[in-house]
Amino acid sequence: MIEAPAGEAPLLTLHGVTKRFGGVTALDNVDFDLRRGEIHALLGENGAGKSTLIKVLGGIHVPERGTIRIDGRATHIRSVADADRHGIRIIHQELSLAPNLSVAENIYLGREPTRLGWLSRRAMFHKAEALAASLGLDEIRDVRALVSHLSIAHQQLVEIARALSCRARILVLDEPTSALSETETEALFTTLHRLRSQGVGIIYISHRLEEIIRLADRITVLRDGRSIGTQSISDVDQRKLVRWMVGREIVDHFHRPGYTPGEVALEVKNLTAPAVHDVSFRLHYGEVLGIAGLVGSGRSELARAIFGIDRIRGGSVEIDGETVRIDNPRDALRAGIVLVPEDRTREGLVMPQSVAFNAALPWMKDWISGVVVHSGKRREIVRRAVDSFSIRLSDPVQPVDSLSGGNQQKVLVGRWMEHRPKVLILDEPTRGVDVGAREEMFNIIGSLVESGMAVLLISSDLAEVLNTSHRVAVYRDGRILQTAPADEITAEQVMEQLTGAEIHENV
Amino acid sequence: MRTFKQMLPLLAAIVALQLIFRFGGPYFWIDGFHWWPGIETFWGPENQIDIVQQVSVNAIIAFGMTLVILIGGIDLSVGALLALVGTTTVYVLAAGNFEAGDSALLSWTLLALGFVAALGMAAAFTAFNCLDVVRSRGARGWLMAVLFVWTLGYVLAGGFPGVHGAMRLAAAILAGVGIAAAFGAFNGVAAAKTPMPPFIITLATMLIARGCALSYNKGLPMRIPDEETVFLTLGNGRLFGVVPVPVIVMLTLFAVAAVLLHRTRFGQHLYAMGGNREAARFTGIPLVRTGIAVYVICSLLTAVAGMIHTSQLYSAEPGSGEMFELNAIAAVVVGGTSFTGGKGTMFGTLIGAIIIGILDKGLNQAGVHYSLQYIVKGSVILAAVYLDVRRRR
Repeated sequence: MIEAPAGEAPLLTLHGVTKRFGGVTALDNVDFDLRRGEIHALLGENGAGKSTLIKVLGGIHVPERGTIRIDGRATHIRSVADADRHGIRIIHQELSLAPNLSVAENIYLGREPTRLGWLSRRAMFHKAEALAASLGLDEIRDVRALVSHLSIAHQQLVEIARALSCRARILVLDEPTSALSETETEALFTTLHRLRSQGVGIIYISHRLEEIIRLADRITVLRDGRSIGTQSISDVDQRKLVRWMVGREIVDHFHRPGYTPGEVALEVKNLTAPAVHDVSFRLHYGEVLGIAGLVGSGRSELARAIFGIDRIRGGSVEIDGETVRIDNPRDALRAGIVLVPEDRTREGLVMPQSVAFNAALPWMKDWISGVVVHSGKRREIVRRAVDSFSIRLSDPVQPVDSLSGGNQQKVLVGRWMEHRPKVLILDEPTRGVDVGAREEMFNIIGSLVESGMAVLLISSDLAEVLNTSHRVAVYRDGRILQTAPADEITAEQVMEQLTGAEIHENV
Repeated sequence: MRTFKQMLPLLAAIVALQLIFRFGGPYFWIDGFHWWPGIETFWGPENQIDIVQQVSVNAIIAFGMTLVILIGGIDLSVGALLALVGTTTVYVLAAGNFEAGDSALLSWTLLALGFVAALGMAAAFTAFNCLDVVRSRGARGWLMAVLFVWTLGYVLAGGFPGVHGAMRLAAAILAGVGIAAAFGAFNGVAAAKTPMPPFIITLATMLIARGCALSYNKGLPMRIPDEETVFLTLGNGRLFGVVPVPVIVMLTLFAVAAVLLHRTRFGQHLYAMGGNREAARFTGIPLVRTGIAVYVICSLLTAVAGMIHTSQLYSAEPGSGEMFELNAIAAVVVGGTSFTGGKGTMFGTLIGAIIIGILDKGLNQAGVHYSLQYIVKGSVILAAVYLDVRRRR
């Protein structure tokens, strides 16, 4: 499509791009460039700034500083429409297709070919067929098929076809292979190689290092919102990439609580549940067990199963050496297990309500007896929750969504301390939480652990898991691969196991 | 204090409507501006009592509807259920003087099942609240079985001739309440345990309930026997010759509903569920149990409203209660309850019902053609909700 004469400016250049959210710097002076006919991999841990960078390109976030050049010309991308006009198309992990429309209808959604103002389905099918043929996407040749009847892999191809039908020149793929089998991945790679030879610039994001090494031409690593460097793929190997990704200099703001393990608090034996396969582990009082796993590895599902949200299909959960039957969260809470969920807005807080409502919600039994409301007791409970985690607020009756992310998270954890749980499960407790609040929260949790609480810490931030846990379980595809004392395992070793060569099984 | 402040615009609306209907106001027609003089007798005590009395039925239904809407649900079946409660009650009351079609018999089967559900709910509630004795599954099962046999016997006995007086009245009321509980339990179980949207579930049960009601007495009104003075007092009596009984019932139920919503754990559960269902699940709130209870309570309140309505008409009309569900929803929404759930008060609903009542009565007395009444009412609801939404933003 685009002929690139030698020596011309790169397709896309980012220079010094900075984006802040409140006190959190998501992108810090990032440089990045993409050439025509190139696959450029973007690599980094969760929270390294990859998704923010994509959103800057897609016009969802506008950076505070920095310049974006397309074909060497400085431009601003202020909206999704701007991004469209520049030929930037992003294919997100969650596909955005209309399942009950056909392939062709999805490709031309919003730009349907018309004839005298009437929708011309025939023209649309013809155009779609021609497009699929020209792109070599034989898998979606049947453009009349319903999208919901296609496999995820083929749906992805529909997204790609849609992107290219409006002359996309820059294609961004976010973790495209997370739901694909090996053969489907191969097919996708063939397609991407063909697009590359047609002059499309492709930004490819993935955790899977061996994939990137096979596919990409160049590679850029992001860490803590900064670009660590860009290298040609021939100059790197897997080991080097891992070191790049996790090698963080600042580890001193983590503080590992003192370790005096007591009796076994929680024992999980051969637990099987949706996306969890035969998991066994022990968690002692006064111990932090870290679960290191990537997004989609089934680590949240493990927490959900133990807490009674997802149905347990096999295996058992024991508290203090006694098997407990957990059918729903109430059973879990009665047994002394508390889960602080991953998604604060969706699963954690009742947003339209006040801080006090949310903080006192689990302990209604303590402040309402029959029809008698003990406002005094309620105030006490709220005050204790606020004090215990030093939550900063002006008034307990202020809406909880007016707090910062860090303080919201503190409400979510702090409210359970009214009656201290035996086992506290934290699922991604620091997502969207600034460094200060994160440190504060871990200090408090640390002192609780030192006084005997058992904590199961689930996180994709390796530095966090390794530096706050006593033991670490490496978790992938719903299984524990290895459990080791945290000071006997390095971030590189964990990352290698999490991203290393894959044995595809039927999951 | 904060809630009172939020209610101020609604209270102002009541005052404004009262002033307009008493002293009139300007209006515009094709030939220019006019002054409508108002209704001189509008502030007469008898007239005002009348308004409150006419509000009662709608308000009682709306109390239940508030709970349903608060958890993000909706109950469209209340109007039809009101008619079915009336026909069922009068059928037992008149000792089979009226014909009951096959569909009516279907509703009797539902009734029997409904008792199990309702009493099972009651048992679950007791278990939930205080009594540890009936917490075990076995004990609860036994309790339900005993209650089932007892009620079935009792109700069937009530339906046959030869039982008179207070016993018959009790059987009739129990039958009416039972049929409502049955429908409520069905709505609740379907809404809480299946992914079907409550709008569709209750649309379906509305049709079913209407069908059951229409099969009594070939769809014609069923007159309440004159000797049932107690039942007739429910809709037409006056305490000390002044306060209508329906108003007393309404205010009592308002107090009960307000306490239930604002001063119990159950009420807190509703706010949490409506505000964020997933978050409620993570704090261990029993979503299914609470959801079922809400629909059952709504139906039980509808049963009370149905009996008052039937008594006021001196007969059960199989075709009555149409649009009652919409009136109740209007009262709830005008009262400031958020349609997406999680926000609202019982007091707001009471005020909402009164506003709609004043509007109905005033427009009627002003001699506005009923076609225009609908249009005015629609506009008022739109305006109220728009202002409320804007204020909250």
